[in-house]
Amino acid sequence: MATSSSSAINSQQSPGLKTYFKTPEGRYKLQYEKTHPAAVLHYSHGKSVSQLTVAYLKEKPASQNSAVPSVPSSSSSVRSAAARLLGAGNGSRALSFVGGNGVSRTGPGSSRLSGTLGTSTSSSSGPQSANNYDGKGAYIVFNTADTLFISDLNSHEKDPIKSIHFNNSNPVCHAFEPDAKDGHDLLIGLQSGDVYTVSLRQQLQDPGRKLIGAQHYNKDGSINNSRCTCLAWVPQTEGTFVVAHADGNLYVYEKSKDGNTDITFPAIKDVTQSSVAHAKSSKSNPAARWHICQGSINGISFSADGAYLATVGRDGYLRVFDFLKEQLLFGGKSYYGALLCCTWSSDGRYLLTGGEDDLVQVWSVEDRKIVAWGEGHNSWVSGVAFDSYWSAPNSDGNGENTVYRFGSVGQDTRLLLWDLAMDEIAVPLRPLAGGSPTFSSGSPSAHWDNITPNGTLLPAPSMRNVPKLSPVVAHRVHVEPLSGLVFTNESVLTICREGHIKIWVRPSHAESNPGQSNSSGEVVIGNATASKERPAISSMKVGTSSGLNTSTSTSLSFKQQSSVLFS
Amino acid sequence: MLMGAAGSKLEKALGDQFPEGERYFGLENFGNTCYCNSVLQALYFCVPFREQLLEYYANNKSAAEGDENLLTCLADLFTQISSQKKKTGVIAPKRFVQRVKKQNELFRSYMHQDAHEFLNFLLNELVDILEKEANAAKAPSPDNSVSNKIANGPTKPQANGFHKEPLVTWVHKCFQGILTNETRCLRCETVTARDETFFDLSLDIEQNSSITSCLKNFSSTETLNAEDKFFCDKCCSLQEAQKRMKIKKLPSILVIHLKRFKYIEQLGRYKKLSYRVVFPLELKLTNTTDNSDLEYSLFAVVVHVGSGPNHGHYISLVKSHNHWLFFDDENVEMIDESMVQTFFGSAQEYSSNTDHGYILFYESMVGKS
Repeated sequence: MATSSSSAINSQQSPGLKTYFKTPEGRYKLQYEKTHPAAVLHYSHGKSVSQLTVAYLKEKPASQNSAVPSVPSSSSSVRSAAARLLGAGNGSRALSFVGGNGVSRTGPGSSRLSGTLGTSTSSSSGPQSANNYDGKGAYIVFNTADTLFISDLNSHEKDPIKSIHFNNSNPVCHAFEPDAKDGHDLLIGLQSGDVYTVSLRQQLQDPGRKLIGAQHYNKDGSINNSRCTCLAWVPQTEGTFVVAHADGNLYVYEKSKDGNTDITFPAIKDVTQSSVAHAKSSKSNPAARWHICQGSINGISFSADGAYLATVGRDGYLRVFDFLKEQLLFGGKSYYGALLCCTWSSDGRYLLTGGEDDLVQVWSVEDRKIVAWGEGHNSWVSGVAFDSYWSAPNSDGNGENTVYRFGSVGQDTRLLLWDLAMDEIAVPLRPLAGGSPTFSSGSPSAHWDNITPNGTLLPAPSMRNVPKLSPVVAHRVHVEPLSGLVFTNESVLTICREGHIKIWVRPSHAESNPGQSNSSGEVVIGNATASKERPAISSMKVGTSSGLNTSTSTSLSFKQQSSVLFS
Repeated sequence: MLMGAAGSKLEKALGDQFPEGERYFGLENFGNTCYCNSVLQALYFCVPFREQLLEYYANNKSAAEGDENLLTCLADLFTQISSQKKKTGVIAPKRFVQRVKKQNELFRSYMHQDAHEFLNFLLNELVDILEKEANAAKAPSPDNSVSNKIANGPTKPQANGFHKEPLVTWVHKCFQGILTNETRCLRCETVTARDETFFDLSLDIEQNSSITSCLKNFSSTETLNAEDKFFCDKCCSLQEAQKRMKIKKLPSILVIHLKRFKYIEQLGRYKKLSYRVVFPLELKLTNTTDNSDLEYSLFAVVVHVGSGPNHGHYISLVKSHNHWLFFDDENVEMIDESMVQTFFGSAQEYSSNTDHGYILFYESMVGKS
């Protein structure tokens, strides 16, 4: 069957799942789904986790500048903003926002979707129609079990147009770079630790099921035989990429050089400390090994200018490095448990992390600490991404808007959307010793006011000290736990662990679609933790939090420590 | 006694990382006694509990001879394991299992038993024995100040003279926490709090959720109204009220029981819920009365294998000296930490995966780095 209507697919595969969700700016509608032959899963026993990369193949590389904003004209200001925030270290709060509404058109490189968000911006600068598929060369790459699939993003074809089978080990992560000079633009990391670079176009032109024209690195795991967890092209470089492994090490490669197999790096003296070791020979590829943490590196993300690398891992810490200086700048711990994903805002001001404490943490780069916790997932948070295409519905267009929209997906099978309005962040009431509660308008804790020196990893904050954020929307999108999300200009893409992808078209792009019904009000808006059976929760919290606000501009709320409720 | 090849394989796997003085022994199955074996392994690797039990055995060697009970049998078994010459192997917990069957007819049959019920039975039985011994020791010489050890064996608990205080045994010190049940009358706003102790928390579970989320639901506010109003002492009448459970005192060892066996009224029988419930290796509880952020670390999981409540198998996963081990009756294997997540459950109802985490053992990280 070539095409089928989305609702038919939906009712068939996922009973009880709605094909739309409502946001303050309008309705996101399930446009179509992508999947793979079900037989593939037989081999994986549900243990493999599918990841998703959006790739835009350009017809004439580097000729359409307007359509290639991988780092757009705002890059200099992006760089200076991030550099100022991280370099100065004097704690001064210069809160003038760079580049309008804080969401420049540079995609943030995300963790699992490693760097691919940064590249996903390269299409669709002009007006477009959803039917004009194929014209832009937009593809999605995803892995399931022992196969890497490529689908056409904008076609209604449900099945992949290309399957690449791996004999020895499963592909587990991938990344795409649209501006790659010599055509090798797709990075693939395997369970075995092996890494390949290939040309996506070349794969599409070949009818076979094998990887074509691949460059092979870390062959048979000769340098590191632990699982690849995530990889990324370093933005603003010509073919530098990094590969993170399950043993806490990350390697820096150059695609222009052959992968060596006879490199040995010195033993790691202290596995709990981050350290960088260089290969002796300048010809070595990888040239450097970064030991990041004890246990697996679960996610990495580069700032849009390539200057800063964020990592999250099994030990529960976010770490932010100056990539060129190879220096740990700052970091901090989850509330508890491992962190699973991370991403930068496109202006380099904020970082998101998600993990096993069911929270989405918002980190301020300037303050070098957590500024808010997003509460709303009922299970682990497996993917986070800023929506750099979104602008607030009430935006007055003069660039004063400082609301960030971001999304998160979790093992609770849900997609949550959040609005972060930093000027409305409220600091929780904190009881002073023996005194009455007092409202602090500044930093949540006085001793954090001083900027932390380079290399400091902050311990987990106390629950009562962190402002809480509630989602604008919570929508159950799949029947399986989710593993990732990507924002594109037209839509939000979600993928579940089993490799089913749903494409949710944005309200503005769906308007041309006449098939909308008028039923509404079935989607939870506001505090998504208040489930239907327990109305008491929400009513209890109304007094002390603004968690039930439905307006986007006031979604950042705080909750008092809950014992206050009974006093 | 069997000395399987599996033992040497484990020793090889650990190599020179084999922890000093540690013993990894499988337990023989006497016909559906896996419920017992899986819980015993979890308790053996609950280090504070094991240390107290070994100490009890050392202090009561002579007394145990004539007067066998569940406590002496367990202490004997743990001592037997810990004093083995070999580092790995298999032990038959024969005396202990016989004692369990003698003590409780529920466990006498060869039917499949519930590991959680067994754990509950065992801990309460141990407490009973310790209390009896403490009372017996107290009765003849109330001023016995010779043994002021912490209620270990037939000695007095902290001799503070207040006999009405409930006895705090080392079993309590390991596992006991206090829940407080707060009810707020919606008319007069008076809060009534009632405390109750617990050895484990039994949580209702939901599909594709986390332990964190289940704990939140456990402590969420419930409104008492309509047929189910609350008698307010101040108003002297039935009133609408809000009720919730919070944790007043966190236990040193936190045992979480997932309610995977649910009575389905339409079916007229119990059904196993295979839901995927993820549990982190580190956990904090937020539903405490004082908002304390005590961090716990997972050290054992009792896993139920099978699709139904009346049959199946139990195994346990245990963390010992930073290695994860897999205990399946006689067999002991080393596993990677990442294997733990294959026991979370099934994201969809009809799945071939039937190995589901059932009882989780977390230890408090206080005083550990």
